[in-house]
Amino acid sequence: MNTHEQTQSPRLPIIVFAALILLTISTVLLSGLDVGNTTSLLIAMAVASMKAGLVLYFFMHLNHEPLIFKLFLGVAFFTLLAIFVLTFSDYSFRVLA
Amino acid sequence: MTDQVLAVEHHHDEVGTRLGFWLFLYTELFLFAAFFLVYAVYRSSHLEDFKLAAENLNTTIGAVNTIILLTSSLTMVLSLDALKKGSVKLAKLLLLATVALGVAFLIIKGFEWSAKFDHHIFLQTVKGIAAGHGSPLLTPGEEMLPVGQVLFFGLYFVMTGTHALHIIIGATWMLIVYFWISKGSINPENHGVLERCGLYWHLVDVIWIFLFPLYYLVA
Repeated sequence: MNTHEQTQSPRLPIIVFAALILLTISTVLLSGLDVGNTTSLLIAMAVASMKAGLVLYFFMHLNHEPLIFKLFLGVAFFTLLAIFVLTFSDYSFRVLA
Repeated sequence: MTDQVLAVEHHHDEVGTRLGFWLFLYTELFLFAAFFLVYAVYRSSHLEDFKLAAENLNTTIGAVNTIILLTSSLTMVLSLDALKKGSVKLAKLLLLATVALGVAFLIIKGFEWSAKFDHHIFLQTVKGIAAGHGSPLLTPGEEMLPVGQVLFFGLYFVMTGTHALHIIIGATWMLIVYFWISKGSINPENHGVLERCGLYWHLVDVIWIFLFPLYYLVA
């Protein structure tokens, strides 16, 4: 059954929004920490991924979509991951003339 | 034969349409992924220049714009909810609020860009790409930015520029949807277009969620 047409109370979007704002503030504060370039970037990307996850799952209603929508997201994610990993497995080992 | 064609024309598969729209969104995602990949490679080879260049960007402005876009995503979600519940007036109001927040984002971005123009960062970036080192295009007394910083600002203008273009497209689409809601062709029973417009807007938001730390939090 398609549960997509159910209307929701505005409470859930507002809670998600509050979480997004809190994550934005924390990522700005965390960027001030002196933990080195790579760690700092990894923390920022981890927070950004959490925010993106919240938007995708709740605001874009993936929580109400059939399984196939989530499979598509998974395929897109792993394709991107493969492209990044393969690029860096090449680029990191190049001997630059 | 004619009956069959008519049957096909009248059949409307809302879930299938939405799935197709998600596929389109993934093509948008991969467009930006190519930019992110170039950013990642150049950042790894010009780490210090990227950090120095990023100091020219104002974290507060970036954070404010992030909050503006997140808020616009919330008003978009609430607008669709309102329309589904039959509160057409509220849905239209929230849709207009979403457009207004998108415009606010663009205005702030515009001020940010023009500050960069005033500091000749844009011009030096262009000259840097066109002419390389020791450029004859440089006027006497003008200094070339280091290559790594030229790459940083080149990517900054291309990525935020492409993103801003998506904001303009999204806001224009919303105004068209607003007009259709006013006309009644989009209504509580037939809200698929507003839903897809919302999906597009949220994707633009997701892309900004990743642009923000890569440009404003790496100094």
